[in-house]
Amino acid sequence: MKTGKQRALNILMNVLLIIYAIFALFPLVWMILISFKSDTEVFTTTFIFHPTLSNYQQVLLRSDYARYIRDSLIVSGGAVLVSIIVGVPAAYALARYNFARKEELAFQILSYKFAPEILVVLPLFMIYQKLGLYDSYIGLIWVYQLISLPLLIWVVRGYFEDISVEIEYAAQVDGYSWYQIFFKMLVPLIKPGLVSSALLAFIFAWNSFTFPLILASSKVYPVTVAITKYLGTDSAHYGQLAVAATVSAIPAMVFALCIQKHLVRGLSFGAVKG
Amino acid sequence: MAGLTLEHLYKRYDNSGKKKKTVNDYAVKDLNLVCEQGEFVAFLGPSGCGKTTTLRMIAGLEEITQGNIYIGDRLVNELHPKDRHIGLAFEDYAMYPPLNVYGNVAFNLRAKGVDKNEIDRRVREIAPLMQIDDLLDKMPVKLSGGQKQRVNIARAIIREPELLLMDEPLSHLDGKARQAMRVEIKRLINKIKCTTIYVTHDQLEAMSLADKIAIINFGVLQQFGTPTEVYDDPVNEFVASFIGEPPMNILETTIIKADGKFYFTFKDSNLHIAVPKRYYSVVSDGFRCKMGVRPMDVLVGGPDSDGTPEEIATFENLGDERRIGIHVGDVLLMLITEDEKRYKRGDIIKLEVREEKTHLFDIETGDRIREK
Repeated sequence: MKTGKQRALNILMNVLLIIYAIFALFPLVWMILISFKSDTEVFTTTFIFHPTLSNYQQVLLRSDYARYIRDSLIVSGGAVLVSIIVGVPAAYALARYNFARKEELAFQILSYKFAPEILVVLPLFMIYQKLGLYDSYIGLIWVYQLISLPLLIWVVRGYFEDISVEIEYAAQVDGYSWYQIFFKMLVPLIKPGLVSSALLAFIFAWNSFTFPLILASSKVYPVTVAITKYLGTDSAHYGQLAVAATVSAIPAMVFALCIQKHLVRGLSFGAVKG
Repeated sequence: MAGLTLEHLYKRYDNSGKKKKTVNDYAVKDLNLVCEQGEFVAFLGPSGCGKTTTLRMIAGLEEITQGNIYIGDRLVNELHPKDRHIGLAFEDYAMYPPLNVYGNVAFNLRAKGVDKNEIDRRVREIAPLMQIDDLLDKMPVKLSGGQKQRVNIARAIIREPELLLMDEPLSHLDGKARQAMRVEIKRLINKIKCTTIYVTHDQLEAMSLADKIAIINFGVLQQFGTPTEVYDDPVNEFVASFIGEPPMNILETTIIKADGKFYFTFKDSNLHIAVPKRYYSVVSDGFRCKMGVRPMDVLVGGPDSDGTPEEIATFENLGDERRIGIHVGDVLLMLITEDEKRYKRGDIIKLEVREEKTHLFDIETGDRIREK
């Protein structure tokens, strides 16, 4: 009797999950469908159409799309790299040391994520113009820290806090130097958190639109901004737009699938239990 | 193996970051201590008294503000923890989660680059000693608290330290495991005969395990002596009240003189106890001090006793002993009796005190007042 109930519950849960999956994946599927349609068929709502690769040819072969992807990879990857280099030590300090106004500082870092991008982007635009950071890789990598750094610091800090200080002491007594302890003992323990937060930070940076739109123009051209080019004032190439969007989603999807296991565990559990 | 010498040891924490400045910001203050080779010394004190800080300074995990630490005759102040030849057992076990028990025990030797066969030989030698033979393949998360502590201690002794340090190793264990582990540690120490510093806040552990006890409060060493010494001859009120369960009765008293004899009298109580003759040279009529006597040394007098009759306020039967509480003013005077009689609240008994076990303490400083 009990098993019957459980089975029914199981089926119900699965049905709900499937409904949610359809709901969540539909835009993606729709986008991919459009990418295979010719401009004339874009507005039909039936699933029957004459698939064409012309959009792909147009976007991938006859435009600078590869360059946009490359720019996106550079700025997003660079942003995450900088965040890891700066954020892991920062997270360690926030977890281990006591100093004046520690919590205030941690909260301030988090608060950078609160401000709407559009609010800060204009002053940043003027500052960037003056500093010569406008339309440069470094400029974008720098401003992306607003997106990636707080996330990384807060997730990794939680991991460090879960690691008993005594493990560090033990390793010290066992003959490790501080750097050995950090890289050989602590980094492996925070890895799930580091990997998952770095991935999320990468996706957020990749998807960022406002910052590159305003703070970059011709030299640095991430895909999010490039996609808008397909919406001209006189014509809208929805097919090509869909191709650009589909391709731009691939890196994030590949990363996410690769470390799916880490992603769920990394963000939902502490590092060390027992 | 080597002894340990602490010389005028100070530890001061930099409080500049904190809003409130504390007056007493020395965690350890002028600590002097000599621990002979092979001795088992317990650092005993309430939490926050500086005992763990001292242990960490000995281990090299905490900087020394001032003073010297010698292990054997080596000055180790500036040495890296790994060069001090110490073994350290942690309160939280501090196992490396990705390694199994074998890996944890072997870690130190591996870090030192000891030969693989030699490591294996030593792990196999230590494992039965700590009864962890069956656990070697398990991961730390799978172990119970007691098992973790065994591994933790195995890890500390496998490096054959000159000095073994244990930081409250039993405090996370529950009652039974705790007792079992205490016996275990005693057995182990008898076997390896290593100089050991054992930090604890549990006076029972200290009394049962240690050759000598160092009682520390507010970063200051109060008394250093054998369990018998600190129990029978405490130097001050703190030591007297910290050692012993139930704690020593300590009562404020005014001494009065009647018929050429001195008596302890107590506020809001008609209890009076004769002052032992040996104190006659230090007391006078109207002298105020504190009187301390252990519950075991307060007796129920027989029918022809000349003790003061008192009313029983509480009575606890603990099986092999009975505890009686009596109100003396607003203090509850405890006494432990082994006689079989079951009393009840309100019964009247006559109180007698073992004169030779009575201690006097200064009312202000808490220092012991000794007979001259």
